[in-house]
Amino acid sequence: MAYYVLTLAVYVVVGIIACWGLNLQFGDTGVLNFAYILFVAAGAYTASILSLGHPNASSYQHYFWGAHLPWPIPWLAAAVVGGLLGLLVGLLVLRRLRGDYQAMVLLVVSIMGSYIVSADPGFLNGGVGLALIPQPFKGVLHLSQVGYEVFYLALAVLAAVAVFEVVRRINASPLGRVLRAVRENEAAAAAVGHNVAAVKLLVMVIGGAIAALAGAIEVQFIAAWAPAGWDYTETFGLFAAVIVGGRGNLGGVALGALLVQGLFLEGTVLLPNIGNPALIGAIQWMSLGALILIFLYFRPQGVLPERRRTYSSDITTGRNRLASPLAALTNRSARG
Amino acid sequence: MNSLISSLGFGIVTASILLPAAVGFTLQFSATGVLNIAFGAQMTFAAYIAFICTQAGLNIWLALLLAGVFGAVFSALLNRFLLTPFARRGTTFFGMVVVTIALALLIEYLVEIIWGTMSVNYKMTGTGVVHLGAMSFTHSQLVVMAIGLVIAVATHSLLKYTRIGKAIRAVASNTELARSSGIPAQRITDTAWLISGLMGGVAGVMLGISLSSVSYTMGDTFLIEIIAAAVLGGVGQVYGAMLGALAIGVLLEESAIVLGGAYAPISAFAVLILVLLVRPTGIMAGAAEAKGIA
Repeated sequence: MAYYVLTLAVYVVVGIIACWGLNLQFGDTGVLNFAYILFVAAGAYTASILSLGHPNASSYQHYFWGAHLPWPIPWLAAAVVGGLLGLLVGLLVLRRLRGDYQAMVLLVVSIMGSYIVSADPGFLNGGVGLALIPQPFKGVLHLSQVGYEVFYLALAVLAAVAVFEVVRRINASPLGRVLRAVRENEAAAAAVGHNVAAVKLLVMVIGGAIAALAGAIEVQFIAAWAPAGWDYTETFGLFAAVIVGGRGNLGGVALGALLVQGLFLEGTVLLPNIGNPALIGAIQWMSLGALILIFLYFRPQGVLPERRRTYSSDITTGRNRLASPLAALTNRSARG
Repeated sequence: MNSLISSLGFGIVTASILLPAAVGFTLQFSATGVLNIAFGAQMTFAAYIAFICTQAGLNIWLALLLAGVFGAVFSALLNRFLLTPFARRGTTFFGMVVVTIALALLIEYLVEIIWGTMSVNYKMTGTGVVHLGAMSFTHSQLVVMAIGLVIAVATHSLLKYTRIGKAIRAVASNTELARSSGIPAQRITDTAWLISGLMGGVAGVMLGISLSSVSYTMGDTFLIEIIAAAVLGGVGQVYGAMLGALAIGVLLEESAIVLGGAYAPISAFAVLILVLLVRPTGIMAGAAEAKGIA
């Protein structure tokens, strides 16, 4: 039981990290990244090949290149690869395409990614996926199974705290204000001199790095990774968590990840078996769909809504509480 | 060379299925501004309705018609009772996308619960083969192609020559202006969803016939090709969607021959992304604007 709870806890922490990255893009900036799971996968594959060691011709699994590097290098490298992929995809998709095209092309990119990996068995072991990925310090620590789970959970929580600090600081900074301005009114944000495309590109890079880190943590825990595990529908599960929890609110997003990832998708395993496992899976996904609909209709702001931000007056005086002319502008245009 | 020509035949068959689907998808977008991710799931649902009909002993083409009617009614009901209330609440464009994602999950897994994960196939009487040069088609493929052609012509006539088609175009290009000129916008968008649902339903059954199997993930997988065709043609552009369907259908089958089956979708999508980098609003954007056809 302790083992099960700990496993679930690691999944939830991974889910929370991934949802914070998604929230930076979707909740704060309004970028609808339907390829989000691709970045998680990129991180997972990076961490895998950087811990598996050189590919062995006689091995049952094939991958194009590998190294055996100590923790935390696979995690950090995963974040770098995720960021670079964010830059690449962002440059491809965000610069010239309209918002609705962006969303659709990202969905296509996500599927292309899984087709590419599945099509070439020599690249990342194709549709079968990579397995037996070494876990950090597993051989050095000589812990019991539960003991190692506690250790790994601590590593994951450490990463989550780091990610939290990054997204919290972005949110509190002037950059955070720019992100929200882009979300609320792109034209107004551009009119006061912000480079909307550059801002979106930036959140693609940072969000991509966070997603990849989540993937790296997940893969070194479960020790296997295959295209079936990062189907594009997985992205929607993360979106559901962000919507239910409360987009734009870090605590809310974490709560959403806990609810959706933990209780909803994993927790039903604890329920009595009511039929064939495929049926349970189908009911889970249907409930997820219903949950999204109910929340978007009755409480679109989520369980914990985004905090109303007010700014002390350091530019204007008198009754205007909005310090930044940008905030004043977006606020006015939102009302009008 | 021969294999390229024969795969051109397959490409035209794929394009004939893609055409009603992409036109339906893009019509929903132009009439209501909703990117309907659930479109593939609706196709699957209709394909299974046709399966029930064939199980009951109906002819496959009659089943196709009934599934089309089911798709039309289902789609219009979705628009009226699910999407319109969300739109009234002021759900944003992105919010609506997420709504349709949730809807897609609901429909797809409902289908899985009802019919299971095993694929089924239509009972069809034996079909002969017709040779046209290097290309060869089964009788059912010929009918599928004919249906695609009929739908293309019918869509064109509907939008161009009928009052309802003109009203759809008016609502698509400016809903407020259309409403103030006396066009009942809600009824028109319902009609647009009815028509696009019909196309989606028919396309779902055509896909089932062409693949000779129906599975619960069928429409969802095909959705990516629909999106590619619609985006290539310029989202909301009906004629663009037709051209996009033809291009994507032929590209998919030809690249399967040149590069091997596994790489076919990759190359088709790579072409899509390249085209969008050169023409970010699709191949038909300029032409459609000039003619005022949304």
